[in-house]
Amino acid sequence: MAPRDPAVAPRESATGAIYDLGYRGYTGERLGRRAAVLALFSASLRAAFGLGRSGKAKLVPWGITLIAIVPAAVAAAVSAIVPGGASPFNYDNYLWDMQIVFALFLAAQAPELVSSDQRHHVLSLYFSHALLRSDYALAKLSALAAALFVLAVAPMLVLFFGSVLVSADLMAALGDQVGNLAQVLGAPIIYAIPLSALGLAIAAWTPRRAYATGAIIAVFIVTAAVGAILAEATTGNVSRWAPLISPFVALDGTRDWLLGASVADSGVAASRLPLPVFGLEAAAIALIAGAAVVWRYRRMAA
Amino acid sequence: MSALIATRALTKRYGSHVTALDDLTLDVEPGIIGLVGANGAGKSTLLKILLGLLGPTSGSATVMGMDVVSDGAQIRQLVGYLPEHDCLPPDVSATDFVSHMGRLSGLPAAAARERTAEVLRHVGLYEERYRPIGGYSTGMKQRVKLAQAIVHDPKLLLLDEPTNGLDPAGRDEMLDLVHRTGTEFGIATVVASHLLGEIERVCSFLLAIDAGKLLRAAPISSFIEHTGTLGVELEDGADLLAARLVAAGLDARADGRSVLVDCPDERPYDVVRDAIDDLGLSLTRLEQRRHRLEDLFRTEGRTDGAA
Repeated sequence: MAPRDPAVAPRESATGAIYDLGYRGYTGERLGRRAAVLALFSASLRAAFGLGRSGKAKLVPWGITLIAIVPAAVAAAVSAIVPGGASPFNYDNYLWDMQIVFALFLAAQAPELVSSDQRHHVLSLYFSHALLRSDYALAKLSALAAALFVLAVAPMLVLFFGSVLVSADLMAALGDQVGNLAQVLGAPIIYAIPLSALGLAIAAWTPRRAYATGAIIAVFIVTAAVGAILAEATTGNVSRWAPLISPFVALDGTRDWLLGASVADSGVAASRLPLPVFGLEAAAIALIAGAAVVWRYRRMAA
Repeated sequence: MSALIATRALTKRYGSHVTALDDLTLDVEPGIIGLVGANGAGKSTLLKILLGLLGPTSGSATVMGMDVVSDGAQIRQLVGYLPEHDCLPPDVSATDFVSHMGRLSGLPAAAARERTAEVLRHVGLYEERYRPIGGYSTGMKQRVKLAQAIVHDPKLLLLDEPTNGLDPAGRDEMLDLVHRTGTEFGIATVVASHLLGEIERVCSFLLAIDAGKLLRAAPISSFIEHTGTLGVELEDGADLLAARLVAAGLDARADGRSVLVDCPDERPYDVVRDAIDDLGLSLTRLEQRRHRLEDLFRTEGRTDGAA
């Protein structure tokens, strides 16, 4: 396909002539680095849900989001049909019960955000623009955190509106539920930030998407299993501290500390550790993993 | 107004053994500049230093008066870069990708879309621009790479081997595109290539580097003028003619059935004509054989090819 000669202007068409004005320079506004980072953030957030990509790329993120929502929707529907029936889900335990869903989403989408840029050398293009390497890392971290927040807050909102809509007096129910908004919005934040940092820190290490996916699954599942087994099989201090091996326990403890009651089977209560310990661990995960991501991109050759 | 690109004793070493750039000092004025050298001569390293992607080991460099070490981010806003290797995500369309890159260069969203349509048309991508890049031919990918480099209307274009991997037809189209981009749009352009023929075709100024050292920096025309050779093709008697011309004080040598005569000015033409007439030789062809740029490397450069 040869480039069309711009000299052949005007081109006649049914509706008139199209004049090729040739090349024009750009004299408009040039936004700076901040706009570049924001653009990268929003593009990455869209990529996390496969927006602007093929249908195949949407399948996994949307499928996982659906899996996250369905139990909440079913619970809401059941309580509408059977008034007063106790739902197995509430704001306290929903995210804890969803941990496999988080792990799957991270395993599938964290590599989507960063591995491809590395593998296809898009990074060298990014770094040849105004944005700094740390900007790239921070934009990707925030995009993945925002995606996880969406994933977590969607079922929480279903629970919230489900319980409002089934009641006879909507306004009264809304009034009752407003107090829970801190849980509905806060718990997803507590989960999204450390999990996205940890997932991205693993994914940033390899341009091979499959390796990244496997490693993320392994880290989340193995830590959860090892923590639970050690807590069960040992006694004393080892048993008390063992659950902290799983990042999800740290998150549940943090949520418990800041927002409300812990989940019975998370091991937070059983450990009898002071709750700020969990908060400290969650913060440490977010900071160390986030710093590792920044460090990784600072060091990478372009 | 300072030079477009200026380097002073610029040196880049990788580790303690590999010297990519060695005490390079040059001043470049706007135009289409060919940066020529064998693979590994230091072309890519120089471009990356100019972009602020790599730090120099010693020495300094400025682009449009800005220092590459301290003002890298500002330089990168005004520069378009086409890397040598593949750099395109396969799962995104050319439109989405180029517009994304436009936004990363600081264009507002609407302007990025508008400019994307314009530059994709300029590089000759039409309906296929809505399909994922993964399905493109090498030629189309190179066009997308050029489009993303000019989407923000840069003041300087750095093209690293823009014809990499293209077939002869694709190469011609790409060179034509580079030439048009440089001349019609008035964007100063540096084209790095190991193919001298390409540089000769599109560039007005030549920087030849070899093993990280500057071999020569001059307008292309000066190379051609000073290396002009007259090729005299005969049916036979080439040795005879060569001897006669040497006797007449010309720099001539037989080369097969031809005699190559150095022509620093017009005088040799008459001498050659008279000599052929005197000797009664039959002339097959008389042509101005312009030395190829290769001669630059053959005579002054190393012959073993860089690492």
